[in-house]
Amino acid sequence: MQLSNKKLDWDQFLQIRQEVLNSWPTGQEVDLEEAVAYQSRIPAYRRFAEKLEQAKKEGITLAQPRAGVALVHEHIELLRYLQDEGGADLLPTTIDSYTRQNRYQEAQSGIEESRSVGRSMLNGFPAVNHGVAACREVVESVKVPVQVRHGTPDARLLTEITLAGGFTAYEGGGISYNIPYAKDVPLERSIRDWQYVDRLVGYYEERGISINREPFGPLTGTLVPPCISHSVAIIEALLAAEQGVKSLTLGYGQCGNLTQDVAAVRSLEELAEEYLGRFGYHDVVITTVFHQWMGGFPQDESKAFGVISWGAATAAMAKATKVIVKTPHEAMGIPTKEANAAGIRATKQVLNMLKDQPLVEFKELQSEKELIKAETRAILEKLLEFGDGDIALGTVRGFQAGIIDVPFAPSRYNAGRLLPARDYQGAVRLLDFGNLPFGEEIKEVHREKIKQRGKAEGRDPSFQMVIDDIYAIGKGMLVGKPR
Amino acid sequence: MEEEKKQLTLVLGVIGADVHAVGNRILEYALTEAGFKVVNIGVMASQEEFINAALETDADAILVSSLYGHGEIDCRGLREKAIEAGIGNIKMYVGGNLVVGKQDWAEVEKKFLAMGFDRAYPPGTMPQQAIDDLLRDFGFTQKC
Repeated sequence: MQLSNKKLDWDQFLQIRQEVLNSWPTGQEVDLEEAVAYQSRIPAYRRFAEKLEQAKKEGITLAQPRAGVALVHEHIELLRYLQDEGGADLLPTTIDSYTRQNRYQEAQSGIEESRSVGRSMLNGFPAVNHGVAACREVVESVKVPVQVRHGTPDARLLTEITLAGGFTAYEGGGISYNIPYAKDVPLERSIRDWQYVDRLVGYYEERGISINREPFGPLTGTLVPPCISHSVAIIEALLAAEQGVKSLTLGYGQCGNLTQDVAAVRSLEELAEEYLGRFGYHDVVITTVFHQWMGGFPQDESKAFGVISWGAATAAMAKATKVIVKTPHEAMGIPTKEANAAGIRATKQVLNMLKDQPLVEFKELQSEKELIKAETRAILEKLLEFGDGDIALGTVRGFQAGIIDVPFAPSRYNAGRLLPARDYQGAVRLLDFGNLPFGEEIKEVHREKIKQRGKAEGRDPSFQMVIDDIYAIGKGMLVGKPR
Repeated sequence: MEEEKKQLTLVLGVIGADVHAVGNRILEYALTEAGFKVVNIGVMASQEEFINAALETDADAILVSSLYGHGEIDCRGLREKAIEAGIGNIKMYVGGNLVVGKQDWAEVEKKFLAMGFDRAYPPGTMPQQAIDDLLRDFGFTQKC
């Protein structure tokens, strides 16, 4: 059957479901009716969608870390620490990389080895292996809502287990958890598998249980221009809404230039409302998430706090509903719980100081917003054209043709022809447009701004400039300088 | 590299279930610019893929990256696989965020050298460092 953005038929869903639940023994622990009953008993203060909606009304920004370790009790200790010592408003459960690739056998070895050496050998919490009861133990151990965060192209079993396990928010999507997270998974397959995920969330919605869904905004986290991540976020919003999802948090990863970043967050929400409205999804609540800098970090912890705080400030000034927090250990890999809490505290200090300050408005912000909107619309309209009006089909065809293209992605289903670079003011522009369907007017803006930088640095823009930009923040700058 | 000298062939890849593609792309670029022949097997490469690529291309060295913390599990046994395949003497380098959490680098390095790696690099190492070491280890006196 041809892929299309159509609500999955329930009987067909149940058929696929048998296979999904049989793919690992813990799948048998999931009883959907019992899970619905369990979810309905979770109090409002532990429900993600409610807390986000409240924050949006109040115009404040919530802080959420990333965190996950191999063993259940250590994971609970970690989350409690981030709640009590870090002051996290929202909590995560970050899933390990073996589980993300459905390699549950290797995750099992990681669990066993973690037990025998007394430290986590996995980079996250293997929720599938631990099963439903362990997940419930985790979410019941804290006083704030907990979200599943991962990077899984086929997340169907993980979704079944964690939603039955009481998590009230779920990150990912058929594009955002494939193109940056896999090498060889066809887009058509991952979009279908995520239609399943969204259909399950939609079923919980039908039963009166709101589960928040969050497409992964930053993609590869490396010089991704706003129009690219916005296009993916809006496609995934349309796909999720069709399956019955009602609470959506759309994301964007900090680029570093304040004007561009604030313009990006605000335009993202406006564009999403525009497209959801146009396709008839009127009862979806849209909130936003801003990710602190996702690229390379400085090794020095004080410098890292500088990067973290700038991200916090930008999130507050953009009025994002939540901010995903980095840690002073970012350059070294997985942080200790102390370092993680320190990142949250630094972030919350800045958020609190800025929360009552009004939205900034200036001319350049307006023109940056208009530019991002024009670029995103150009991509989305071309994708719709490619799919004869169907966004799912258009996305698959569009990726093939490079109409949408994610910089530095590992997937072979991504054209990989874009070359982004910073302009003189540090905003992310495009040095090579690949096959993006931009008109000359848009292209000229990019060319002009990058030319200006080349002139200032006395060099022609090239791949070396891109490399310098990738290393720049780690080396204490925003714009990469010639060596 | 001087033209009369043999061009070194390097197998480059990111091991395990790791999808970090950016550093891999930069390493490929920097190593190629430095005059090496780079066989890039990309992200999510298994131990078998490293060994097979080294066999097929008669490579001089294997360069393993790991960014996501599972390096300790993923790299164990790679030297033994090389020995089994009859290329036990091939140079092997490893670098990245090799373990879960911030651990003392000297200990981490010792662990990976004991696994059979010739060199191990901490987070934040620039490509030039590996390039210099490669040239030194293969007896090239002149810089590229």
